Amino acid sequence: MPKLIIDDREIEVATGTKVIEAAAQLGISIPRFCYHPALGSVGACRVCAVKVLEGPAKGIQMSCMLEAVDGMQVSTADREAVEFRRYVIEWLMMNHPHDCPVCDEGGHCLLQDMTVSGGHGLRRFPGKKRTYPDQDLGPLVQHEMNRCIHCYRCARFYQQFCGYRDLGVLGIGNRTYFGRTAGGRLESPFSGNLSDICPTGVFTDKPSRFIGRRWDYQRTPTVCIHCSLGCHAVTSVRYRQVARQEARMSAAVNGWFLCDRGRYGFFYASRADRPRQAAIKGETAGMEEALAHARSRLEALAPAAVAVIGSPRSSTEVLALTERAARLRGWRGPAFFADVGAALKVKAAVSRLEAGLAVSLGEIDQADFILIVGADPINEAPMLALALRQAAQKGAGVWVVDPRPVSLPFEFAHIPTAPKALGAVLGRLLRKSIEPAGLDGPAARFHASLPGDPASGPELPARAAELLAASRRPIIVCGTGIVAAEWVELAADAALLLRAAQKKAGLFYVLAEANAFAAGLLTQLDSTTDRVLKAAAEGDIQALVLVENDPFATFPDRRLLEQALARIELLIVLDYLDTPASRRAHVFLPTQTLYESGGIFINQEGRVQYSAAAFAGGTPVRETGGRDHPPRVYGSGLPGAAPQPAGQLVARLAGEEIPIDIRAQREYFSEQASRLAGLPDTERLPPDGLRLALRNISAERFKSMLPPVPAAESDDIEIILTERTFGTEELSTYSACLETLEDETFAGVSRQDAEALGIRDGDRIAIRTENGAVELAARVCDNMAAGAMMIPRLRRLPWQTLGKSIRRRDIRKA
Amino acid sequence: MRVDLIDKEPSGPIQAVWEGARAIAAGFALTLKHLFRKPITEEYPEFKRPLPSRTRARIVLTRDPDGGERCVACYLCSAVCPVSCISMQSAEREDGRRYAAWFRINFARCIYCGLCEEACPTSSIQLTPMFETCERDILKLVYEKEDLLVNHGGKDPDYNFYKHAGVVTAIGGKGEHAGEDQPVNVRSNMP
Repeated sequence: MPKLIIDDREIEVATGTKVIEAAAQLGISIPRFCYHPALGSVGACRVCAVKVLEGPAKGIQMSCMLEAVDGMQVSTADREAVEFRRYVIEWLMMNHPHDCPVCDEGGHCLLQDMTVSGGHGLRRFPGKKRTYPDQDLGPLVQHEMNRCIHCYRCARFYQQFCGYRDLGVLGIGNRTYFGRTAGGRLESPFSGNLSDICPTGVFTDKPSRFIGRRWDYQRTPTVCIHCSLGCHAVTSVRYRQVARQEARMSAAVNGWFLCDRGRYGFFYASRADRPRQAAIKGETAGMEEALAHARSRLEALAPAAVAVIGSPRSSTEVLALTERAARLRGWRGPAFFADVGAALKVKAAVSRLEAGLAVSLGEIDQADFILIVGADPINEAPMLALALRQAAQKGAGVWVVDPRPVSLPFEFAHIPTAPKALGAVLGRLLRKSIEPAGLDGPAARFHASLPGDPASGPELPARAAELLAASRRPIIVCGTGIVAAEWVELAADAALLLRAAQKKAGLFYVLAEANAFAAGLLTQLDSTTDRVLKAAAEGDIQALVLVENDPFATFPDRRLLEQALARIELLIVLDYLDTPASRRAHVFLPTQTLYESGGIFINQEGRVQYSAAAFAGGTPVRETGGRDHPPRVYGSGLPGAAPQPAGQLVARLAGEEIPIDIRAQREYFSEQASRLAGLPDTERLPPDGLRLALRNISAERFKSMLPPVPAAESDDIEIILTERTFGTEELSTYSACLETLEDETFAGVSRQDAEALGIRDGDRIAIRTENGAVELAARVCDNMAAGAMMIPRLRRLPWQTLGKSIRRRDIRKA
Repeated sequence: MRVDLIDKEPSGPIQAVWEGARAIAAGFALTLKHLFRKPITEEYPEFKRPLPSRTRARIVLTRDPDGGERCVACYLCSAVCPVSCISMQSAEREDGRRYAAWFRINFARCIYCGLCEEACPTSSIQLTPMFETCERDILKLVYEKEDLLVNHGGKDPDYNFYKHAGVVTAIGGKGEHAGEDQPVNVRSNMP
């Protein structure tokens, strides 16, 4: 632990700490352009110069390259160092264009700050300024290369940190260029971070181009709700429009970055077509009128004839109040999941995440072996792929057991496995890699029950078992999309077995939606959406209340949905989206988005996080002014501020008047919803959130069902509905800027199946179903399990008509 | 405590009468003298005194020598305004030029300090000597962009920001602005 003196103040830091970091610990901010805590040091910009008064190399040194050693004495304010930095800034500004007024970075530009604080004002160099051609980098990032100061942050982030190769350094010397070999959209789903990481305005945020300056934005710490990871973000609102989202540093969750789905998924909140008025049978009505109407109609029905369907995209407040409303009135539900299978999986994940076993996203890079079972990180939870890459960069072996052609931005091994066989492969791998000698009790019995390699069939790669056996900190990442509930349990037992084998094993589940964890806590297994809809189709249910749920987008059986909706008398929809369901509602009640109401979300590792309300709501000035100046009228109150928090509306539908103050409301629900009791006050939540310590959920260890031998091969092709980075997560599909990034509608088939069916890559195929034909482009994949077809759950694709499997003869070339 | 305000006691009644008469006569003499002088008062509004061009009153948005709106909606004036009377929304024209989609100054709130003019990087916002802006309806003091735009360059007639900025607009492409080199050829291997 070296002890050094910086600016006459002593500090003791960990060995290997750079002087720039040591200074930061003292609260001294040394100027920097190329240095970034996540990317490390390269010493390219020379602006972090300090003077070493005592130490191994005296004189001017770059503090980002200099390791702190014992007895070192450093001055940041020494005249020589200050002069040096001033000259560095002056020559960095030599070619910098005179365009701060029209540059979106102005106001939060590191170069601007350094130039002003360094005192540089007038350009003394009389020569001409260097210019560069720019490129069109797609809908998310704006390129203006003239402003570049060659710090290499973008290339290091894009290539080293994220593992994508299409943006990098070109040219030499004075012509060094940062861009693509040819213009075109950036391939990385993390490209939005370029605008955060660029210390000047070379890469700026395109969707929020020219909307405002940093100082004008209402900036609020929020939590991203576009997957289950719960990454931290900062949301910027201007003139009642959610304008921009940036990453918020969080060591426990997302680190410094945010994926593009999370960064640009917010546009649903400020869309022009967002419904802001209550409606009765499509006719605009006042909120109170619509509420009273809905309430009187609900009261006329028997409670058992009313069912509530919620969704895991709602905040915990909404979920808890919905559950409470249904319980108080004796309504059926609330159903949060499509079917029992989905509910069971989440319930299993929730109950099996023991405090000692769960690892956070931030801890993943410490693993030395990662086994991914039935998860597709880059598509289901993109930031997980970035965390996995950091682990792989540090030498961890990453093995993926999945039927889909999983691709990740680093080297990994893939064992294409049919969905039915996922558990068996996991079991075999465990049995192969763990010696039973050191085990006792239930762990030993569990190990003995694991299946060995079958006599026939493909053998598991020996390397995977070797690596797992040699690992000290293995992590099991288990998805909940395509795996069965049994495998979710098995993944937990696998992690426990690795613990029993003296490894510091971790468990990481990927859940389907932002608040699936809370929904899993609150859900009843006997009320799932399919059961509710079946009852409705049979006439047992007369009224449906949809709370922030669009079954047209989420429910996998469109026919059942249509039957149910045709049969019921009353459809009440509470939502902030313009969905097919909200358009068909008999009574529509507009609700507030997360940015208006705030809310607690519990991520997939049980981390309770509070997303603060960013603004009071209302129609954006952009809309009220018709893109011109705001209306010239006096008045108080906000236009378009009718929406209310969904939880409050449900409670009022149930006949309760509950306190409107958000804090009182939170106290109220934490008293009422027993399973969430003990949720800390949001004011006392630490910045990184708090892992939920569940008291009354007990799970049985080592009781997971043994993987049965996969059933005899049926001729049918199993449909694997799969997430894509863009276009499947419901809320982000309402972002116009992400539309062009969505995948085409395709059907992934293994080469084996493709040959048997006579399909070639790129062929149009027609799939015949009971509900008509669906036409798609075939994508033949080499690293895919046979007997399965991968269909992306894209919103614009009618995947709900496909069912669970299809007969081979129903697949034809179109 | 008694304060003696009179430092000299009048010496007698005759003296006092004399002193009084003299004072009245002197006063009338002065009045009579001014009666035949040219008055120095200026009759406003019949007469309007020419004010220096730097007088700080009614704000305008000027145009560059090519007739384009100078304002790039950079938000510096609204940021510096101590009474927050300026608001705007920036937008992009088809050619890439940044401009104000709308621009509003609330003159009911403006204190004519001139900080906006000082902050303006394009010489767009300028204070003029025109100060007669009173209205009975306070909403009429809220000026929109069309009320603020003028057809000249004000005190800085020659400056065109986009000729120096380096961003591509109809005014010029890369390398076509003042003091710029031709865009570098990234693919060249020449030293």
